[in-house]
Amino acid sequence: MLDLYDKIQEAVGVIRQQYSATPHAGIILGTGLGPLAEKIAVEASIDYGDIPHFPKSTALSHKGRLVCGKLAGLDVVAMEGRTHMYEGYPLKEATLPIRGMKALGANLLVCSNAVGGLNPYYRKGDIMVIEDQINLMGDNPLIGINDDRLGPRFPDMCEPYSQQLVDRALSIARAEDIVAHKGVLVAVAGPNLETRAEYRMLRTMGADVVGMSTIPEVIVAVHSSMRVVGFSVVTDLCFPDALEPADPHEIVKIANEAEPSLSKLITKVLEMEKA
Amino acid sequence: MATSKTSNFESLIEQALESITDRWQGKPRFGIVLGTGAGIVADSIEAQATLPYGSIANFPVSTATGHKGNLVCGTLGGFEVVAMQGRFHLYEGYDVDAATLPIHVMKAMGVEVLFVSNAAGGLNPKMVSGDVMLIESHVDFMNRTSRHMTSPPQVGRTSLRSDCAYDRELMQTAMQVSRKDGFALHQGVYAAMLGPNYETRAEYRFLRRMGVDVAGMSTVPEVTVASMHGMRVVAMSIVTNVAKPDVLEETSGEEVIEAAQIAAPKLKSIVSGVMASC
Repeated sequence: MLDLYDKIQEAVGVIRQQYSATPHAGIILGTGLGPLAEKIAVEASIDYGDIPHFPKSTALSHKGRLVCGKLAGLDVVAMEGRTHMYEGYPLKEATLPIRGMKALGANLLVCSNAVGGLNPYYRKGDIMVIEDQINLMGDNPLIGINDDRLGPRFPDMCEPYSQQLVDRALSIARAEDIVAHKGVLVAVAGPNLETRAEYRMLRTMGADVVGMSTIPEVIVAVHSSMRVVGFSVVTDLCFPDALEPADPHEIVKIANEAEPSLSKLITKVLEMEKA
Repeated sequence: MATSKTSNFESLIEQALESITDRWQGKPRFGIVLGTGAGIVADSIEAQATLPYGSIANFPVSTATGHKGNLVCGTLGGFEVVAMQGRFHLYEGYDVDAATLPIHVMKAMGVEVLFVSNAAGGLNPKMVSGDVMLIESHVDFMNRTSRHMTSPPQVGRTSLRSDCAYDRELMQTAMQVSRKDGFALHQGVYAAMLGPNYETRAEYRFLRRMGVDVAGMSTVPEVTVASMHGMRVVAMSIVTNVAKPDVLEETSGEEVIEAAQIAAPKLKSIVSGVMASC
């Protein structure tokens, strides 16, 4: 793991040739949420392929570039497209961009993902502000010799998502009349969706939504002592007793429909960061 | 480092064994694996040879805080013992074969009874920091295994179930020791997590719901191998802090080591008491 530090420096070195600001926040745009990147006043847009050690995204509707610029008047770097464990990337590689954001100066991570809803009160298109997480991926990006320059050996996880930002996001949602819940995200490796029996199990464990991403990035962000705020868009309903086949195109469509609300939430959360 | 890719796992064990027997010719019946903070138990061993892991063929090197990294060979209460002062965790990046190689080597040295200790976070609200829990069974959330951790039935193996290694008779002896010496000794279920981050509140709640009493990042791979070899195991968790998922509180590595030091004398008396009964 001790080569990770040098890899981050190399990646940041290349980004710095095109982008000189100190970003306040790093943003991960999940499935269908790319359009938010269009609202960024772009100063540099760099393909992952041009950044050393950045993994290349192969997932549906993920573009694969780092957009650097201003959003809501704040300096941000946004990942348009992410990589997933199910694509075959070791978690250490998949999460390297988060380390890059931190090295550029970002102390806040804003992440979003498309998830299946387990909580029966949730509906398609609803947004859940992530309050806590359960890692069932069977892997961890911090495995290996710890590099103390990057963070502690045993990061505490009592508050992986900033409670202050959870509260802010929920109050913004109320003011904007956006349906937003507060709940627990569980992540599995995928790529197959879960069985009905698995959905029942995950619900029993205390999860409200299930996804295949975000948790590795959040673990790395916590390791890097970044504040985190996370949003899940419920793109399909995983109610084991009334389960319908999941249509990937519908998932992307619902994510696209929720994008304006989510963009508004993220933008307003960032505006409050300025104050 | 030993890996499962190496063609001849048996020869890795033999080479390690040789580099130990070159320097110590004891025939220990007892093996001890000392986890976080319990390294001082090794101080009560009358050491005849203290072998740094780096000097033993194919042994990995421990990187965890509070772990020394020596194989201590000698006597404890008149019995020959071999003790691991510091162990190998999967979160350090070792595969399960590397992490459990010392257990295979202990078997080859003649070890029949294995004591294992660890530091774990308590989930059962009846426990307090510094308590010790005898592991009665475990839940494996590590998602790591190897063909060297399971084998066809062999001499000494009485069950395919890895938790049958937790020896009922020895556990009763340990309970007697705790009553006699006047300290609380719990019995319960250990959940093995990959780590290295501590669990989230949501994870603690889910583990508690699954029937788990303490959660840690070790022990299960070693016990699984010991079980395959038909060893009798006494495994003990030092409860370093009791997680209260409804009250936010940070866990620090230092706090863990401090609680472990309170519990170390209890471990010592269990180990000597159980050995005396064997």
